[in-house]
Amino acid sequence: MASESAPILSTPAEHILEEPTPVTVQSSESRLSEEQLYLQYEIKRTVDEIRNGKWKRIALQFPDDMLVDAPRVFERIRDDLKEARKTASSSQNGNVDNVANDLAKTSLQNGQTSDASDQVEEKLCILGDTSYGACCVDEVAAEHVDAEVVVHYGRSCLSPTARLPVIYVFTTKPLDLDAAVDSFKETYKDLDEKVCLMADIPYSHHLDDLQARLAQEGYKNVFKTSIIRDPASLLPNRTAPTEVQENPEALKEYSIFHIATPPTSLLLILSSRIKAMHIFSTESPQSTALEASTTQLLRRRYALITRLSTVPIFGILINTLSVSNYMSALSHCQDLIRRAGKKSYTFVVGKVNAAKVANFAEIGGWVVIGCWESSLIESKDFFRPIITPFELEVALKGDGERTWGGEWIGDFSALLGKEQNEINGHSHAEAESTTQGDWDDQSDDEPPEFDLRTGRYVSQSRPMGRPSRPAVAENGETTASAPAPASSALVQRAKGDVAAIGGQVSPAAEYLRSKRTWQGLGSDFEISYERDEEGKIRGAAMEEGRSGVAKGYSVGEDASKS
Amino acid sequence: MVNFTVDEIRSLMDNPKNIRNMSVIAHVDHGKSTLTDSLVQRAGIISAKNAGSARFTDTRADEQERGVTIKSTAISLYGQLPDDEDLKDIPIKTEKNDFLVNLIDSPGHVDFSSEVTAALRVTDGALVVVDTIEGVCVQTETVLRQALGERIKPVVIINKVDRALLELQLSKEDLFQNFSRVIESVNVVISTYYDKALGDCQVYPDKGTIAFGSGLHGWAFTVRQFAARYSKKFGVDKNKMMERLWGDSFFNPKTKKWTKVGTHEGQTLERAFNQFCLDPIFRIFDSVMNFKTDDIPKLLEKLEIKLAGDEKDLEGKQLLKVVMRKFLPAADALMEMMILHLPSPATAQKYRMETLYEGPPDDESAIGIRDCDPKGPLMLYVSKMVPTSDKGRFYAFGRVFSGTARSGLKVRIQGPNYVPGKKEDMFIKAIQRTILMMGRYTEPIEDVPAGNILGLVGIDQFLLKSGTLTTSETSHNLKVMKFSVSPVVQRSVEVKNANDLPKLVEGLKRLSKSDPCVLTYINESGEHVVAGAGELHLEICLKDLEEDHAGVPLRVSDPVVQYRETVAGDSSMTALSKSPNKHNRLYVTATPLSEEVAKDIENGKIGPRDDFKARARILADDHGWDVTDARKIWCFGPDTNGANLLVDQTKAVQYLNEIKDSVVSGFQWATKEGPVAEEPMRSVRFNIMDVTLHTDAIHRGGGQIIPTARRVLYAATLLADPGLLEPVFLVEIQVPEQAMGGIYGVLTRRRGHVFEEAQRPGTPLFNIKAYLPVNESFGFNADLRSNTGGQAFPQSVFDHWEVLPGGSVLSKDSQPGKIVEEMRKRKGLKPEVPGYENYYDKL
Ligand SMILES: Nc1nc2c(ncn2[C@@H]2O[C@H](COP(=O)(O)OP(=O)(O)OP(=O)(O)O)[C@@H](O)[C@H]2O)c(=O)[nH]1
Ligand SMILES: [Mg+2]
Repeated sequence: MASESAPILSTPAEHILEEPTPVTVQSSESRLSEEQLYLQYEIKRTVDEIRNGKWKRIALQFPDDMLVDAPRVFERIRDDLKEARKTASSSQNGNVDNVANDLAKTSLQNGQTSDASDQVEEKLCILGDTSYGACCVDEVAAEHVDAEVVVHYGRSCLSPTARLPVIYVFTTKPLDLDAAVDSFKETYKDLDEKVCLMADIPYSHHLDDLQARLAQEGYKNVFKTSIIRDPASLLPNRTAPTEVQENPEALKEYSIFHIATPPTSLLLILSSRIKAMHIFSTESPQSTALEASTTQLLRRRYALITRLSTVPIFGILINTLSVSNYMSALSHCQDLIRRAGKKSYTFVVGKVNAAKVANFAEIGGWVVIGCWESSLIESKDFFRPIITPFELEVALKGDGERTWGGEWIGDFSALLGKEQNEINGHSHAEAESTTQGDWDDQSDDEPPEFDLRTGRYVSQSRPMGRPSRPAVAENGETTASAPAPASSALVQRAKGDVAAIGGQVSPAAEYLRSKRTWQGLGSDFEISYERDEEGKIRGAAMEEGRSGVAKGYSVGEDASKS
Repeated sequence: MVNFTVDEIRSLMDNPKNIRNMSVIAHVDHGKSTLTDSLVQRAGIISAKNAGSARFTDTRADEQERGVTIKSTAISLYGQLPDDEDLKDIPIKTEKNDFLVNLIDSPGHVDFSSEVTAALRVTDGALVVVDTIEGVCVQTETVLRQALGERIKPVVIINKVDRALLELQLSKEDLFQNFSRVIESVNVVISTYYDKALGDCQVYPDKGTIAFGSGLHGWAFTVRQFAARYSKKFGVDKNKMMERLWGDSFFNPKTKKWTKVGTHEGQTLERAFNQFCLDPIFRIFDSVMNFKTDDIPKLLEKLEIKLAGDEKDLEGKQLLKVVMRKFLPAADALMEMMILHLPSPATAQKYRMETLYEGPPDDESAIGIRDCDPKGPLMLYVSKMVPTSDKGRFYAFGRVFSGTARSGLKVRIQGPNYVPGKKEDMFIKAIQRTILMMGRYTEPIEDVPAGNILGLVGIDQFLLKSGTLTTSETSHNLKVMKFSVSPVVQRSVEVKNANDLPKLVEGLKRLSKSDPCVLTYINESGEHVVAGAGELHLEICLKDLEEDHAGVPLRVSDPVVQYRETVAGDSSMTALSKSPNKHNRLYVTATPLSEEVAKDIENGKIGPRDDFKARARILADDHGWDVTDARKIWCFGPDTNGANLLVDQTKAVQYLNEIKDSVVSGFQWATKEGPVAEEPMRSVRFNIMDVTLHTDAIHRGGGQIIPTARRVLYAATLLADPGLLEPVFLVEIQVPEQAMGGIYGVLTRRRGHVFEEAQRPGTPLFNIKAYLPVNESFGFNADLRSNTGGQAFPQSVFDHWEVLPGGSVLSKDSQPGKIVEEMRKRKGLKPEVPGYENYYDKL
């Protein structure tokens, strides 16, 4: 087969391992001048903030496309910090002399300790290859270098971090203001039109100018959003008009004029909240801004969700280790899945890609716990669909309750509060389904479920057994109102013969037993041999294999050779 | 009408030899329901108050309004032979002259063919109704073929004879010729589908397997009945007499001799059939319709017909009906024919067992079925679900083939995908109640023994549409029914009010259950799709959905068809894809499967569950495959049973079986969503030519292989002249000669073409057969009607898949290319089909 000649046009190898999470491509083709670098990377502000915070170990986190500039930014900050320290200490040295004089009087001055620490040189460190999305702060990597603060460059999802303070440097990009104004005028003919100006983070500093220009043009109801760190706000990470803060419904009267293409998740989140979204593309400016339509996208997500509602085994992908609340989001998802009688396994695979998750064929669908921007993974390359925690909730809702097409929530922390109601809602649904009197009795097998996606029945979609109805206390209140950990007691073990390991029902073991034809050399269930068509055991003579670690195997006796 | 208590009916059930389960099948409008009505009125086991006035088996309001049957409906009849002597004429020894006839009236419209299939499965015999004037039509042939395929024995009634007399004013000899022609064409069909185990099933008037009559007027006769009358008169044996009363057999009144020659001394003789059977009928018609008031009483007296007081005042058609009904009651003729010539369950199950049962012919279940043993293990086939007044709940309708079904019995419910020994698609559940189902009424019944048809309460949640119930742990399934129609026409529905979504979803589930053929699903673009066999079927389904199952206002899209992706040639070179880590390589080629193989897979003749050696034999002997290749079929797809194959043609590849599961997963994935427009693939054979794998298991896991397998299959497809297949209807049109021109125009405009045109012998009618792409068929019927002055009657049924003509799907300017672009946009994909380079890797 080696003789096979490849065609001229074939995929470059490096395209195969593409990162599927959204990255906004920012090409720094031309090398920035020292001046540009200083401004673009906001060196001054960075240095000031570091100084103010009195941090000594600083991690600089760059997205892949900015790594080219990383060494220069590093050097510049290091030098400027040194400079700042010098000026500070020289101005303070004067003080020191005075202080020395008064040493006898006040031997333990607060200032002195800080002065001492000020002498310590700051240690900077570049974080390259980020473990998850570039928009998130990589706290774990930062902790590896014992950093006290992370400077995050590039666009950011602004998700609250769990442990470390962060200095955000959004970096800036140029904008053709005239084109933007023209496009705005084309899009909104009515000067009274209510419009929120919003921009992708690298463009947000242009909004002031834009608003001023529009005011000149006579637009009266243009609201300029500014960046806040709150993904859960009505306009994620942005301020909203005052009237809206009182009444979220009022936002429905606003259109959004968005500079640069927003992340898909933002589109979905906003689709139900606003009147319309018009996008001014910075790459190919058009006379009118493009109206974003999410109907098709939402529908496709609906297809995914319904496909997953009958899946027996879920994988939970941890796609962040820094967004605060991720642990509670994890247990929330685990709970949801357990309560639906399904099984979940939790995975941490770093950056998610198709090859990694396809290793687990027994997983029917994935839930990704990540920041609100990067959890929405829209790619056809994945063997099994990936959904967000919000979508998981919808998927696991009974068919009798599921609605779709309204709100879409990207930020999982918004879901956590709803947990309480969830439980009550659930018990309600259960109670309903048990009132079938004449038709069914409860002692028998669980009926199969209708798979909406295929229109067929699937059995064993709840291998862990459906929860029995929560006990109703004397006064009529459901006792399940205490939050979920009790749910393991509520689970009724599935009848029948799902494989069990150590007394625990194990859908994955069941998969191995019933779905895989290759079960490894030694199976937990039975020893089987590979057989040829005639039923004879197929085999070859045993040979001594290699040993050692992947870095350097040794073959046979010669242990020294790799 | 006979008034029976449930206990009396129950006692009839114990004697399988005295049971007849039969379906009434025919082309649309040939008079099945009317005929059934006349049977019910005479022999139905229901109280008169429940019977209703007419169209007893058309239980739905829309069936009554449209006058077309949509669902098949069962009723029970009680029958006796006129004379205990007649019991001797039944092929197996039968002692009691008490018969329980379970009859299922089925729809004749092609769109509802699946209802016929479901009816045939639970019956052993069929009453084939043929319109004297229209003769054997498309659907007559289709249902006959289906019946014989299920080893269902047919008897025939030539119906609407009154029209031949009143409207066409045929002479006796013309009528005889007409009958002969119809019988001839029926027998041509029957002999085409000859089945050795069933034996010769051709029908002959002189054997008593054909009746003639008018369902509307409620009369019918068989030659046997007349033979019985005349045998005494002539002092001849009845069977001898039957032979004399049909065909070229004449009675010479001069010589008083029977002859085979139609002339005597230059004079034509009257055919015995005309003289003895038709003559009295013609005389009645003549005198009644021509108001020969004097002749009538004489005639009646001669024929021993007594009229009740007020009936004497009738005249014209009314009188005709009464007289004919008294002279030759349809129920008598039909009952006699069915009891004598249709097999009892005891007889039929002997030869039906091997076609019914998937398991070995000697296990306890097989033996129970073969012997129709009420004490054997329960073997019950649920063939369809019938909605109840309890919303969302259904009666399971089926037949007990072995054992006895009773309320409270714990059974194993095995769905269509059940594999013996596995847990999937198998449930244990107690039967809540067993019931008798008669038209729109049900009666609870304690238990139902082998050989009978019944309804079950409480198992509807476990079976979507059909399945097997058994008490034997080792039992295999009763064979899954194969339908002659496919759900190729689809529309998407959405709720007008977003909050109604749960109701729509629930409604779609119910709809799916209520019809054997309809398919409801959500497509990859998130639309709720309802797919049916044809426009009418879909219309009925959507109406049911909106008004009944969902009960919320809906928006319905225009009908669309689903395409299939395929390849037209061999891959121009071996496709190669490397795994993400570059350590594994798959080499694959694609090539078209022959249409016969694809069809055999779709018809279940070749399937993933077959013994691989037997399957290899079929592929080698019938389809010219290489036997070694045929033995190395890894899987079918999509959904593990589709008409695409993955064949291992590698030689001595190490670790190959370790990655088989991964490659198969990739194959299922790729064939479900092809590379051209993410439509399912069809009729492609993929050959794995070579594989190189990393020696460490960790580097050749699913993550490396599954996506790579998909990529390499895509590349192989794109390198093999990919194309789209569209579904094509076979349209059969009956039309008078003068209106034929209009048909050609309409067909040509819709990319259809005629491939057969034949005149119906003895009529001015033409039968035209044409192929018409389903995509062009929307509104075809109306179009045709308006272009032929309402004289053309088309029947369309899905026939095959055909490559969409007009160039490559990869070119932007071709018609298929445009369709693909449209589809891709709708699905939110980028408009151009990605080139094979996207999936192909350099060595
Ligand atoms: N003249 C005449 N008309 C008949 C006879 N039998 C049925 N018809 C008429 O033919 C039409 C169709 O009869 P149905 O009994 O509904 O036919 P069907 O075979 O049940 O039709 P589908 O169930 O829709 O396939 C009705 O208008 C009947 O009145 C008959 O013996 N003579
Ligand atoms: Mg009918």
